[in-house]
Amino acid sequence: MHVSMKTELRGSTKSLALQNSSTLFNTTPPPQGSLTGAALQGCLGSLDGACIEKLLLHCASALESNDVTLAQQVMWVLNNVASSVGDINQRLTSWFLRALISRASRVCPSTAMSFNGGVTSTIQRRLMSVTELAGYVDLIPWHRFGYCASNSAIFNTIQGYQKVHILDFSITHCMQWPTLIDALAKRPEGPPSLRISVPCCRPPVPPLLNVSGEEVGFRLGNFAKFREVPFEFNVINNSSMSSSTLSSSTSETMCIESSATFHFELLLAQLNPSSLNLQDDEALVVNCQNWLRYLGDESKGDSNSLRDIFLNKIKALNPRIIIVVDEDCELSAPSLTSRITTCFNYLWIPFDALETFLPKDSRQRIEYESDIGHKIENIIGFEGFQRIERLESGFTLSQRMRNAGFFSIPFSEETVREVKALLDEHASGWGMKRDEDHMLVLTWKGHNSVFATAWVPNNGLDIHQDQMGLA
Amino acid sequence: MGELEKSSPLTVPTASGEASISSSGYQTMTVPVAPPKKKRNLPGMPDPEAEVIALSPKALLATNRFVCEICNKGFQRDQNLQLHRRGHNLPWKLRQRTTKEIRKRVYVCPEPSCVHHNPARALGDLTGIKKHFCRKHGEKKWKCERCSKKYAVQSDWKAHMKTCGTKEYKCDCGTLFSRRDSFITHRAFCDALAEESAKAHTTAAGSSEAKAMVASPPPPPLTPSTSVVSPALSIQSSELPENPIGLSPLTQAATSLTNTTAAFNTGSSSNCSSSSTTSVFASIFASSTSVTAVSQPRPQPPPTSPSSFSNLISALSRSDCSTTIPSVSVIEPTSLSLSTSLYLSNNGSSLFPAPDNHQDPRQYASSAQPPAMSATALLQKAAQIGAAASNASLLRGFGLTTSASSSGQDSTATQWNMNIQTKPESGASVAAGLGLGLASAGNSGLTELMMGPASAFGNQPMTRDLLGLSIGVGGGGGSSTGGLSALLNSFGGGGFDITAAAATASYGGGGGGGSPRETWDGPSERKPNGPAFF
Repeated sequence: MHVSMKTELRGSTKSLALQNSSTLFNTTPPPQGSLTGAALQGCLGSLDGACIEKLLLHCASALESNDVTLAQQVMWVLNNVASSVGDINQRLTSWFLRALISRASRVCPSTAMSFNGGVTSTIQRRLMSVTELAGYVDLIPWHRFGYCASNSAIFNTIQGYQKVHILDFSITHCMQWPTLIDALAKRPEGPPSLRISVPCCRPPVPPLLNVSGEEVGFRLGNFAKFREVPFEFNVINNSSMSSSTLSSSTSETMCIESSATFHFELLLAQLNPSSLNLQDDEALVVNCQNWLRYLGDESKGDSNSLRDIFLNKIKALNPRIIIVVDEDCELSAPSLTSRITTCFNYLWIPFDALETFLPKDSRQRIEYESDIGHKIENIIGFEGFQRIERLESGFTLSQRMRNAGFFSIPFSEETVREVKALLDEHASGWGMKRDEDHMLVLTWKGHNSVFATAWVPNNGLDIHQDQMGLA
Repeated sequence: MGELEKSSPLTVPTASGEASISSSGYQTMTVPVAPPKKKRNLPGMPDPEAEVIALSPKALLATNRFVCEICNKGFQRDQNLQLHRRGHNLPWKLRQRTTKEIRKRVYVCPEPSCVHHNPARALGDLTGIKKHFCRKHGEKKWKCERCSKKYAVQSDWKAHMKTCGTKEYKCDCGTLFSRRDSFITHRAFCDALAEESAKAHTTAAGSSEAKAMVASPPPPPLTPSTSVVSPALSIQSSELPENPIGLSPLTQAATSLTNTTAAFNTGSSSNCSSSSTTSVFASIFASSTSVTAVSQPRPQPPPTSPSSFSNLISALSRSDCSTTIPSVSVIEPTSLSLSTSLYLSNNGSSLFPAPDNHQDPRQYASSAQPPAMSATALLQKAAQIGAAASNASLLRGFGLTTSASSSGQDSTATQWNMNIQTKPESGASVAAGLGLGLASAGNSGLTELMMGPASAFGNQPMTRDLLGLSIGVGGGGGSSTGGLSALLNSFGGGGFDITAAAATASYGGGGGGGSPRETWDGPSERKPNGPAFF
């Protein structure tokens, strides 16, 4: 961390502690640590976030350089700072410590212990009902921000079409679509017929449901029927495009539980017009929400990375619009220490937001935080193909999209208004900003949380002129 | 309320800043119109060039920070001060701000344990940090009459008053929502819709969209079975108005009755300390079991969900033990929910979450307690205790030995309190085991601290590594792998109980010691009905 922040103290009675931490902030951490005892005492006494971060980095670098003793020592200190019921820093630290311990055990090949197979997380997997998930995504606007921006952009794009086909790649099990169905139902010229296709496999990450994808689609269909929107739901899989077949549900369970990579390759093979059963008269929409990060970004030799292959395939389908929503944080770096820093300085945001709205012993908050802990464990505890969380920031992702041959389209004023209205309904602290890249960013207390972008493929003659002004 | 949302991006290029000054005579805080170059911000490091300002609480809350140098009049906002200064008819040069350059300022929270104390998470807006400080660390003086929510900042309270009770959406399952999008999403997946689609939906369409004021009587039960238990429950708004869970867990709970009644009786009796209640429960549920089995219309009944069942138990036992019916939903945390919570699994947070009047003071007391000791205090204590615990290891400190205190087995809140208090002791023994010779506060180096000076406590030889396992020479290098596996092996055979490591030390070994073989949240993966905690 090379930060040259100058600290100006005015009438502060705690100037000493702050100066100590700013001194710490300015020094690069040598492997053995050369902090003075006094600085350490002052640091731990006030449980400063910057100090915790330093400790985490010490631990990580100790692990990377195989300095077991130092790692143990730092872990002991961290363990006394961490607390699952303390303040945000303490709770975050407890998850980080857990991830580091998990990593340490993996580093050592001769350990006698098992970690439940090593690939999956040690954190308990919790299954929710669909209604619980509906509440979960509404606790904070973290997800709904993306839903709102995406639905609004989709709504604008499909004006004039009577048939819409959405390829939904997300981890929140179609929670986005009821509001779109509702909006389509109220369209003055009547709703278009809507078809939603979801992949059969999904990364093994929370939030997890206690029902299959087909069941979700079934309920969505019920709702669409109730709102009189012609609706069809498909799970993209090997066998057929029809829904609710027994084989597809078992294969889906298999998909969820085993390693994601292999099945992503299977999925990629399905991304062609015939497997997807694309029709000429339908508006094709691709929605990627918290998804691209799970596609490998490492290129193997000459071939492209999975992520790039996916984007190329999508481009080849020539959709009317592609929405990409994800968390605005650069977590794909190969260096562990940089991931720890970035992660620690980003994930305080959902912790802080939840704490603002939910009471201390709220089960929902605890569960939400443990899902974030799951993410932390993967980002820090794993490497190679097991590290499936490879988040890119909005900026980096935008570059990737451009390199893949897409160009961005701005969100309309109407969309921006809708998103703002959504944020107004949530208490203050949530804000939004627009980036020059036509990116909408959800902010919490001014810090970037989630970004939303919209793209069209740069397919030469296939670009519809009306798209420029529509979305 | 609005200020935070309108905070400017954290890079403010000077060019446009100056442009705005020359045109209007005073600096505004709005977003620059056309930034010449947009620096990309890394999250967490908002702006390395920003000036970090740390105000004391007193200075932070002072109302008139901006003082006119001419007449000493104070203003709440810088813009107001600048407007005022124009009135002094200063020559053009003096009208400019006295500061030479426009640097972005970010503010940190004076509270050291706060997340915003860290300059990397500073807030860019003075009003924002003020509001944050009041909200987080201040007294909540403003209260909403309708829903009893308390606010520390008046504008938050005002904003809430605008929406409280004005718009309510009610799902057929009885859950209330203040926001339409949450209502729609819930509705789409709610069981109530599945049933309704069997009937004519034109009539339902009107009622479901009806906007009603906050309903005070409990909503009608979903199935006949729930009518048995609903008088004892009031499913009011939960911790959030838009919590959609409502009555559906009841139906799920009802179906799981047959499996778990016996187990839960044990659990609830220990909490309610009256075995009479268990028989009451048993009889109630027995009578409703047969009814519920029939009334599940859904194509795919959900798997047993002990959480909702235990919620049911807790609500009933609550109503049994205390006359007031809590207004918190049945979804409150229970130890039986087998969720991924360190909090729950360790202290057996009991079937009586916070709202229960009985347990309230104790629970809040323990949850509000700050971490018992700082690390340095722990180390000092260790020094006092001395080298007595020569075999104490990291392992013991984490409370993972088989002989560890079984204090975690009991599920009452009292025990939880005790666990908090035992933390310092366990930490001290860990310190002893680690050979951390902190005889006095004046130790010089972290390395020395950590590695232990040569004359560590007592006669702890340096050749013993931290675990007292005598594996190789202290320090990294060649023995690293061996040392690490020794560390990890020392945590006990079988499944490595990370939570125990990470959290039971905080609780002095409570909760995790009894069954090292179990994964963190106990057997929930294998046995969803597991009552094993009790």
